[in-house]
Amino acid sequence: METITLQELNGRVKSTLQFEMPDAYWVQAEISGISPSNQGHCYLELVEKDSSGKTFLAKAKANIWRNVWLKIKPYFEAETGESLKIGMKVLLQVTVNFHEVYGYSLWVQDIDPTYTMGDMARRRKEILDQLARDGVIGLNRELEIPLLPQRIAVISSATAAGWGDFRNQLANNVYGFRFYVKLFQAAMQGDDVERSVIAALDSVAARRDDFDLVVIIRGGGAVSELSCFDSYDLAYNIANFPLPVITGIGHERDDTVADVVAHTKVKTPTAAAEFIINRAFETASELETLARRMGDAVIGRMNAENVRLERLAQKLPSLFAVLRVRQEQLLENMWNRSLTGIRNLLTARGHRLEIIEKSISAADPALILKRGYSLTRCNGRVVKSASDLKSGDRLTTVLSDGSVESQII
Amino acid sequence: MKYEEAMKRLEEIVSEIEDGKLDMDRIGDSLKEARELIKFCKDKLFKTDEEIKKILEADE
Repeated sequence: METITLQELNGRVKSTLQFEMPDAYWVQAEISGISPSNQGHCYLELVEKDSSGKTFLAKAKANIWRNVWLKIKPYFEAETGESLKIGMKVLLQVTVNFHEVYGYSLWVQDIDPTYTMGDMARRRKEILDQLARDGVIGLNRELEIPLLPQRIAVISSATAAGWGDFRNQLANNVYGFRFYVKLFQAAMQGDDVERSVIAALDSVAARRDDFDLVVIIRGGGAVSELSCFDSYDLAYNIANFPLPVITGIGHERDDTVADVVAHTKVKTPTAAAEFIINRAFETASELETLARRMGDAVIGRMNAENVRLERLAQKLPSLFAVLRVRQEQLLENMWNRSLTGIRNLLTARGHRLEIIEKSISAADPALILKRGYSLTRCNGRVVKSASDLKSGDRLTTVLSDGSVESQII
Repeated sequence: MKYEEAMKRLEEIVSEIEDGKLDMDRIGDSLKEARELIKFCKDKLFKTDEEIKKILEADE
């Protein structure tokens, strides 16, 4: 029986591998561990899981030697905005190696960032779809930003440059508006982002009446590490938050899930401050406009009343003139009517006088006697009936020119 | 009073006068109220409210 040393065995494995698999392969895998070395290399743990994500189907170590790492690290970060980290899906070009002491490992030659970006986009979309199905995706956007967002809860890390920028920007606004900010600390990168930002949101929610607005900010950097904001739980909390949430987490690329569900998304902390200052400016302008309108309205109203009064005052003399003419006409009319009345009355009276005169003159006895009539008296009384007389009575007959005595036989 | 309420009331007063709905006897009062509302809003915008500062500085 042939016996060989371990070194010989490993040597055979090594040469078999080199002989059988000399090419470079593009391999899809998930990073399950990453440790940069002091020498500038980077050691990865790669895995492949089944669809449940719980069972490992394959595992391998992968080394990125310094000369390769120096090239692909900045390239990958510039393309994706992310640095390599645990949980990330990557497409690596590798050669297969075997070392007698260190065993099986892959040597990374190159990386394809588009694969990782595609995976991140797919994950974002999945989370967004789920939020939409759960009916929360637009909830925060439906809230109204108060006219004067003045009391601002800031979720950031105290050491972040963005927090300082934000605070200074607000404090030194050119208009002199007053703002009140309170920091609720949270990790803005790394694995603790999701948990600590949700905890900070809870703290703000516990005293929501003290605040008008929440901003989540952090300074940008070469590597923005956005994927920690592509979290269902974080997005769910933001979407359901009772105050409007503004995100300014410093990036130029696709919006994170947190950005999508936030009320308003801006690029940087400075832009978040500008957004708030602008809102205050709008409301201050509105106040100015109202004050001016108030002045104009009062002056306008006074002028209108004045004009009305003057018009009335001007109208009065002419109204009086019209009234006087009318009264004069009325008087004249009445005067004329009175005159006519009097005249008519006088004429009517004249007629009557004439008639009376005529009848009076007609009744004069002397005239009657002249016309041939006579007046008979007996014992001094006028005889009006033959029956009043008897034989022997003495009569006096008066004629126009004298009287005659006679006796009845 | 809140800033929003003050603005809303101010808008009401201004519209009332603009529309000529207000009789002249009440214009003086409205003017006074409007002036107070404007001052209230301006104070909110430009003056530090120590009360708010205190509330926010306090830890929960």
